[in-house]
Amino acid sequence: MKSTSIIGIYKDEDVFLNAIDELLANNIRIYDVFSPFPLHGVFEKLKLKTKIPYATFIYGVLGTITVFIFLYWTSVVNYPLKFGGKPLNTLSFIIIMFVLTIFVGTLFTFLTYFTLEKMFPGKKVKLPEPRTTSDRFAILIEKDPEMDKKELEKINDILEKTGAIEIKESEVDY
Amino acid sequence: MENKLKVSPGFIILTSILVVYGLITVIIGFATGDTIRTWANLLLNNYYFMSVAIGAAFWLAIQYITQSGWSAQFIRIPQAMSDYLIVSFVLWIIMFFGLHHLYEWTHLDVVANDPILTHKKPYLNVPFLAVRYIVFFGLWIYLTQRIKRLSLLEDKHGGLTYFKKMEFNSKVFIFVFAITFSLFSIDWLMSLDPHWYSTIYAAKKFIMAFYHGATIITAIVVILYFLGYFPDMNKSHFLDFSRYIFALSIIWGYMWLSQYLLIWYANIPEETIYYVPRIMTEYKPYFYAELLINWLFPFLFLMWNRIAKNPYALLFAVVVLMCGQWVELYMSIMPNTTSLHKITYIEFGTFMGFLGLFAGVVAWSLTRMNLIPKNHPYMIESVKHHV
Repeated sequence: MKSTSIIGIYKDEDVFLNAIDELLANNIRIYDVFSPFPLHGVFEKLKLKTKIPYATFIYGVLGTITVFIFLYWTSVVNYPLKFGGKPLNTLSFIIIMFVLTIFVGTLFTFLTYFTLEKMFPGKKVKLPEPRTTSDRFAILIEKDPEMDKKELEKINDILEKTGAIEIKESEVDY
Repeated sequence: MENKLKVSPGFIILTSILVVYGLITVIIGFATGDTIRTWANLLLNNYYFMSVAIGAAFWLAIQYITQSGWSAQFIRIPQAMSDYLIVSFVLWIIMFFGLHHLYEWTHLDVVANDPILTHKKPYLNVPFLAVRYIVFFGLWIYLTQRIKRLSLLEDKHGGLTYFKKMEFNSKVFIFVFAITFSLFSIDWLMSLDPHWYSTIYAAKKFIMAFYHGATIITAIVVILYFLGYFPDMNKSHFLDFSRYIFALSIIWGYMWLSQYLLIWYANIPEETIYYVPRIMTEYKPYFYAELLINWLFPFLFLMWNRIAKNPYALLFAVVVLMCGQWVELYMSIMPNTTSLHKITYIEFGTFMGFLGLFAGVVAWSLTRMNLIPKNHPYMIESVKHHV
């Protein structure tokens, strides 16, 4: 998606969080925010929703079941081998099931996330503000062609008032 | 809201009734000839509430050492709970009259004819047991009371000096606790079957104490929240409490598995003998109940974020987990003492009696200090806590 956006850049985490509150209180739609590290509260503030935890849970359950079926098939059905008087369908499955549940859950969550975000190795990064990977926080507000001058001024005012160290407009291919 | 807890007359009457009910049950138990069972139940409940109180003290120590901000509002509750240790110290004296009914190694004629018990005699004998009992309880009471006194002084004078002293005391306490509580568990629970030993037994009981200490703290906090005593409490605090329970349930499950799986794998008769009465007799349902209630239930129930933040759901989980701890101790004690797999009026009555006493002591202790500490350095962080 290509569009012109207003980008407000902040230096401090708390100032940045306050700015989000202020913008939302003035009914300004925030398109996205960027920060060098995960921030508590941003997720709730922007009213974002994710279903990834549910996906992880399902992957975990499926992983447990699949691994159990695999172990059962190898050591009970296909190649039953008795040792130490232990039953074929044994408790020692638990450790492998436990470890592989974590592994399957993690791996597939990663894959799901990458698919949803359309990420792949070697993808060119499209960041509106490269410094957000280092020490800056950015708020991105989409500049609608229908916005009149007053509204744009208001956005700029709020960004300035809340302590943005830099406000710029740029073409964002995002 | 007033900063001090007010106990309603109804609560006092209720706890008194429970204590009297427990007392009557114990008397009836002895009178009707169920001597061993009554002693076993006394041991169970004594250990239950002692471990909850000491687990709460450990929880408090962890808060000081990690300098946790979120829990600053709630530190009075573990402090009040650790006051129960003094009551427990007195109650435990009774247990010495029942030693002969419960512990095989107190029978000197049996010990003389048994090479293993003779070998263990320098440790497992009544005078040394009494010495250890006094030393352990003395250390626990001294350290927990010291932390409590410093905390009350902090209320009065403020400043960082008391906080630093408390932090140092907590560091001493966790080391003392780890060693003494492990030995205490070996003395009073593992020695019920003196031929058997497991090196992870004490660690499991240690985690159990921490786990259920955190659980009961949560219960008291939620109840006081419903009564309106914590106006600054929000969803994040509930989430943190349920995280404690969730994390500790996994550690507990890990300990359980580490003990069981290794014994199962090695399959050495002198070790597996511990699990024979527990799996192959009528104790089987309790054996599985112990694992399912203490591990699987909190693991699946508190996994959902929305439930973990809900005080009603949390209270429900706590009540279930209280039964869980009871079942765990039941499984530790009963197969080696009574060999009866019944739960009747004695089990119920003694538990209710001790529960009433515990609730009464904690409430009485809470009324004597500010419910929310005044000069705790992390107070503001706790009030504004947000996850």
